[in-house]
Amino acid sequence: MPTTPDTAFEAVRATLLWAGLSTALVMIPGTLLAYLLARFEFRGKQVLSTLLSLPLVLPPTAVGYLLLRTFAQQGPLGRATLGIDLDILLTWKAVVIACAVMSLPLVVRTARVSFENVNPRYEMMARTLGYGPLHRLLAITLPLSTRGLLAAMILGFTRAMGEFGATVIVAGNIPGRTQTLSSAIFSAQQSGNEPQANFLLVIALGVGFTAVYLTESLSRPRKTARP
Amino acid sequence: MSRKFFQLRLQVPLDRFDLEVEFTGSRRVTGLFGASGSGKTTWLETMAGLRRSARGFIQFGETVWLDSDASINQPPEQRGIGYVPQDHLLFPHLTVRGNLQSGRQRAAAGGHDFKSMLEDVVDVLELGSLLERGVRDLSGGERQRVALGRALCSGPRLLLLDEPLASLDLHLRQRILPFLQRVRDHFDVPMLVVSHNPIELQALCEELIVLEQGRIVATGEPLQVLTRPDIFPFAQSQGFENIWSARVRQHSEHTTSVVLGKADSPVTLTIPRVDTREGSSLTVSVAANEILLSTTEPTHLSARNRIPARLENLQSLGHHQLITARITAGLPPVVIELTSDAIEDLDLAPGSSVYLLIKTSSITVYQ
Repeated sequence: MPTTPDTAFEAVRATLLWAGLSTALVMIPGTLLAYLLARFEFRGKQVLSTLLSLPLVLPPTAVGYLLLRTFAQQGPLGRATLGIDLDILLTWKAVVIACAVMSLPLVVRTARVSFENVNPRYEMMARTLGYGPLHRLLAITLPLSTRGLLAAMILGFTRAMGEFGATVIVAGNIPGRTQTLSSAIFSAQQSGNEPQANFLLVIALGVGFTAVYLTESLSRPRKTARP
Repeated sequence: MSRKFFQLRLQVPLDRFDLEVEFTGSRRVTGLFGASGSGKTTWLETMAGLRRSARGFIQFGETVWLDSDASINQPPEQRGIGYVPQDHLLFPHLTVRGNLQSGRQRAAAGGHDFKSMLEDVVDVLELGSLLERGVRDLSGGERQRVALGRALCSGPRLLLLDEPLASLDLHLRQRILPFLQRVRDHFDVPMLVVSHNPIELQALCEELIVLEQGRIVATGEPLQVLTRPDIFPFAQSQGFENIWSARVRQHSEHTTSVVLGKADSPVTLTIPRVDTREGSSLTVSVAANEILLSTTEPTHLSARNRIPARLENLQSLGHHQLITARITAGLPPVVIELTSDAIEDLDLAPGSSVYLLIKTSSITVYQ
């Protein structure tokens, strides 16, 4: 099915929605993993940290293929194994999962740095006031790293918006169903529909610029953030 | 019978040596004195439970905080301490009020009425006008008071103060020391004070421990410990001075006259003019080498203070001698440092009657 102006708008709308869902999916586990890596020493920490960075260095298509194998009928999360059909492949759910996996490393890395920038002595101080681990995280560490976490969220969102390689493999490029901004640009360019490609390009530029600008202003050092 | 506040036996590895100490704290306010790097802060942090590598035994009251042999090492959040670190560590995302309230849960769990306790602390530390301020723009002295207040509001069983005056300039020290004394007198909480400032320790503590390279070299009543010949040179280098509590008697145009010690004490001292009402109490100090001695009552002399006293003790410090003299029975002895030549010239010996000559301008006032 060729990409029409209608489906182009639909692709932009859906991309924003899916990138949002993917960010929501990734933020909590990403933040917890980042906290774990920033504040605790444990066996296998380096292995975990490496595994979490893999989607950043692997070809996105490789990650997509791995996800495809995972959710295939005979895969570890497939119908034959679980006994129920999650109905992931070639649906919007596959888009969200692919985006989430691809943006996780960026979220974890950015959040980890923002946690590491919080002086651990504040947490130590909180311990002497009777705060347990969860209380410390919620009342001290999270509020002191909100800017970094916001930056992590924006980066995760933009990474999800731009995701292409893994998405086309697990979700395809079905206009009106699983087509995203990036796969719509690909289709428009392939079919020689220049006005459409230009329109989508402007949107991509706008979103990208805004996101990077916000992240930059968030990561500017705060005055007297440390004692 | 003396109360036992805490009992400990510690071994904590440090970079150049181990902290290895054994001590029973039987006074409510104990001071830890020593050079930087002698292990004072390590001791404090071990009491707080922040040094997880510590081995040994700590019992506070009836509770065992640390017993390596029994694999007991209570985490800091269970020890119920009020910690005031040197860098204050006020939570930067909270207001002063938010900081004071940060130990609320623990205070409530300990059966304290948080609201009245907060009011009390705000009152004693004069924090009322600061409550809604952020902590980033507080001055050093204000930060110190808020940090003290936060610790007190958490309903602590023990206050741990790490160099409470070290980060402040001289002027602020004179302002903050009285707050520390008020905290000591107003709240019935045992305190452990780490400091390298002899004035602060004398003004606050009932017992002093001197640490050197991780070992205890002396313990006892602060003035006695600080004037030991082996310790005095170091105490002197850290700014040892004679200190007295005093009460304002009357003001004149340029000076103020105070009564030393108890209200009925016969000894008055002329100090630089202060702006407090008559009857209010303050602390004054004068360095041991700022006091002159005369064997006869001098006349035509500019020094305002000429106080009769009797020499008690002379100790040699190489070229100098450390003299202790008694003004009256109710006051701690005065420590004077003189050259050995001066002592020979004046033929001074224990029992000699002398006059202590103290210039008004050599007196520091803490109020």
